Amino acid sequence: MWKFLLPFAAFLGLVVLFAFGLNPKRDIHALPSPLIGKQAPAFILTDVLDPQRSVSNAALKGQVYVLNVWGTWCVACREEQEALLAISRQHVVPIIGLDYMDEREKAKQWLEQLGNPYQAVAFDTDGRTAINWGVYGAPETFLVDGQGRVIYKFISPVTQEVWDREFLPRIEAARRNGA
Amino acid sequence: MNRGTLRAVAPLTLAVAFLAGLGCPGTAHALGANDALGANDTVDANGAVGANGAGAGGVNGAVDINGQLKDSALQARFEHITKQLRCVVCQNESIADSTVELAGDLRRQVREMLVAGKSDDAIFGFMTDRYGEFVRFSPPLEPKTLLIWGAPFFMLLLGGFIIYRVARQRSRMPLDDEPPPGP
Repeated sequence: MWKFLLPFAAFLGLVVLFAFGLNPKRDIHALPSPLIGKQAPAFILTDVLDPQRSVSNAALKGQVYVLNVWGTWCVACREEQEALLAISRQHVVPIIGLDYMDEREKAKQWLEQLGNPYQAVAFDTDGRTAINWGVYGAPETFLVDGQGRVIYKFISPVTQEVWDREFLPRIEAARRNGA
Repeated sequence: MNRGTLRAVAPLTLAVAFLAGLGCPGTAHALGANDALGANDTVDANGAVGANGAGAGGVNGAVDINGQLKDSALQARFEHITKQLRCVVCQNESIADSTVELAGDLRRQVREMLVAGKSDDAIFGFMTDRYGEFVRFSPPLEPKTLLIWGAPFFMLLLGGFIIYRVARQRSRMPLDDEPPPGP
């Protein structure tokens, strides 16, 4: 009896392991963010479009917002831009941009050409804000609740489908809890 | 457990051990690699000061023209720490080896914290608070990492046990070319 059962159990174990480990939909480079549930790191940076204006997330306290990390060097961000524009027209939450490892002129051009889905775009000149947020690439998108806590992080381009599936329910829940 | 079972289980155990170490590349999430190695380091050592203003981060006086910390003890700690931190972009390189821009930013961060008198633990803590335990090449031994540290020993014991059982059973069996015991 054991002779058959044990290898079979081991085989089943392997099937489960493979189903998880070799699942093509799982991005093995996506790291879980240790920031989830913690207070969002504060930043005060200049606006990419106007160096005289500052962008700070302290000003957003009390409302749910999205922080989208991008850069003109990031190919996937171009693809994401369209979806973000559509999402911004739905006026669900303010979308704040964090322009990372970039040049101001290039970023301005990009926003003029492709359209600007952001309420404001913070310009991270030296990558310090990105480090504080645990950013390791772009695009990365964070969702912050009304108490200023990071409640979700999405790595790779946001699409309308991702937005509807991952973001909207969390935004609604955050608003219910915050009320 | 008999010999047949053991024979079937042993390769599976090996396969699991092999898979545990398996990884593969490819992702849509990207970060530009900075090929200008070397230049990268001097820039971030100096560039940090202008950007940081009067903050505690300035390392300008503490580094020589090659971007090395003048204090050799600090430089040794710098090299040790950056070798222990994973570059989360390339994931199999340390931030000491990686030419990616983020690795340069993180080296700057380590350098600044060293100059500010932070302990190694504080620096590792800073990194894991932001990037998670994954940034450490050797995770600290604690309850939640017991499986990682314990698995090799467990596998060794399991393998030893299997060999022991097989050997013992084999020694009890007649040799193949011996005639079967007569009636």
